[in-house]
Amino acid sequence: MSRQLLVPLLDQVRFKREQLKDRLPTLPGTPLLFLSPFFLLFGVFLAIPVFYTFYLSFFTFQGVSTEALFAIDVGAYQIMIPEMANLQYVGLDNYRRLLTDSVFYQSLLNTAIIFVVQVPLMVALALGLALVLNAAYTRYKGIFRSLLLLPVSANTVAYSAVFIVIAAEGGLADIALGAIGIPPIDWISDGFWARNLVAFMSVWRWTGYNMIIILAGLQTISPSLYEAAEIGGATKIQKFRHITLPQLKPIMLFVFVTTTIGVFKKFAEPMIVISSGGPLNETRTIVYYIWQVAFQNLELGYGSALTVALVAIIMTLSLIQFKVS
Amino acid sequence: MHEKLEKEALWQFGGYGFLVAVTMVMMFPIYWLVVASTLPQSAIFAGGAGELPRLIPGRNFLANAEALAARPEVDFYRSMLNSLVIAVVYTGLALLFCSMGGFALAKYEFKYKRALFMGILGTLLLPTNLLVIPLFLLVSNMGLSNSYWAVILPWAAYPLGIFFMKQAMQSIPDSLLEAARMDGASEFQLYYRVVLPSMKSSLAALAVILFLFQWNLFLWPLVVLREGKYTIPVAISKIMSNDMIAYDQLMVASAMAIVPMFVVFILLQRHFVNGILGGAVKE
Repeated sequence: MSRQLLVPLLDQVRFKREQLKDRLPTLPGTPLLFLSPFFLLFGVFLAIPVFYTFYLSFFTFQGVSTEALFAIDVGAYQIMIPEMANLQYVGLDNYRRLLTDSVFYQSLLNTAIIFVVQVPLMVALALGLALVLNAAYTRYKGIFRSLLLLPVSANTVAYSAVFIVIAAEGGLADIALGAIGIPPIDWISDGFWARNLVAFMSVWRWTGYNMIIILAGLQTISPSLYEAAEIGGATKIQKFRHITLPQLKPIMLFVFVTTTIGVFKKFAEPMIVISSGGPLNETRTIVYYIWQVAFQNLELGYGSALTVALVAIIMTLSLIQFKVS
Repeated sequence: MHEKLEKEALWQFGGYGFLVAVTMVMMFPIYWLVVASTLPQSAIFAGGAGELPRLIPGRNFLANAEALAARPEVDFYRSMLNSLVIAVVYTGLALLFCSMGGFALAKYEFKYKRALFMGILGTLLLPTNLLVIPLFLLVSNMGLSNSYWAVILPWAAYPLGIFFMKQAMQSIPDSLLEAARMDGASEFQLYYRVVLPSMKSSLAALAVILFLFQWNLFLWPLVVLREGKYTIPVAISKIMSNDMIAYDQLMVASAMAIVPMFVVFILLQRHFVNGILGGAVKE
């Protein structure tokens, strides 16, 4: 998100608020009135759950009771934080269990492998497409752009179903591979391939989206840089390496950070692959595991601890990506 | 010079080839979905050695759709209606709340403004899928579970939305607002009569993003909704969780979930692109 989001984001962090303070009106109450619907919902459905997850991760229990643990009175409606049946404080037990939970590690590993397969392929495709679409010679840019962006609007579960049908035994994937002499691949029930299938599905969905973001980045590069390089006799590849890539760095950072978050919350695709016969152990992503723990086994406390761990992992990875760049 | 032109032609040829090839590969699943939704189950897969699945549309679309409608546990048409109502109401509410909040953040000065704003920004890094456990407890305790509101309200305060509206509204000149105040407009009239009309394209951009977000939610509706209230993704996952998957029904359901959205998306994608980039992509 080039100018509109990324740059302002950095601006907000540093900021020239003095300047704004003189000019903007300070009417008592009015801004709060405008903000109240948003912040009421934000507080109830985002802020409280964030802290509540952390709180729950120190408890163990099964099932939900209707008694309130504590209540917040917001006038028209009482928001009650429910107490759990058999609520029991266990300290760090959930976290200790997590450290020795092989399924947790396996699902993290699966998520990481999906990331490693998906990201290079997707970024290479998106960058290549963006370069061609940015070139002066290319015609019908608008049409190509629209077509390539279409997958973003595909319903996640529905498109996963399409890929299952293509990859199923006797499906089109086998036949296409057979045509170039490759024997059929067991896409769904073989662990290795089922995991790759999840990655390929995501490549299909997100390449166009990232292409648009990279394209925006390419268009912000000043043409004078290229002109100077041409006078110096630089080849296309040299220009790409020494001008395009360094100039694209902030955009690439954005692509990597959003993709990391996207991969770590992947749920629909593995769920569909698993429910059509994929091997649980190799395709279970971390969010899928949390869902199983919390809503199939009803171990909400342990599920919360897993959630906290995952948030910590995502934050750390994002920070590292910011630091490295 | 001649050699250089030849090289340039080679680059262009390669570039076009790459572009067309990738586009065709990307479009193929969509084409195949349309075809498969019109085929009987037996023709979706290859019959025997050397036999191809059919690649041209058949005539079974209506038969597949009827078979799909006959499954009460999936209740597909009801789920389409559910998804549509939820997504439309959600988009309207979130637009209202985000634009009001964005206006306050962009055009007023008040105490703790920065702290509030940083709080919103902080949640942008948080995958929403992960709040499902406490949300479930909260929503069931409020007596909202298995209702449309359970899917609409939790995400109506969409952090990216208020951020986006704030950025857009900062471009409105303060003198315009001052002039309206001089004319005796109340602050709410300012928002309603001056700010909103000048934000049409930003609102449209955000609307597309919000609608798609809600339309694609899966984990949360799966957790909080029961039979009769399913949204499309949940209904499709129910077709698939059967022991014997009816692929013809699955394809007709997927086609109805995806293809109409494509038509709408092609019409609105300019707004979507503006939404994520703020008009940074030129022709």
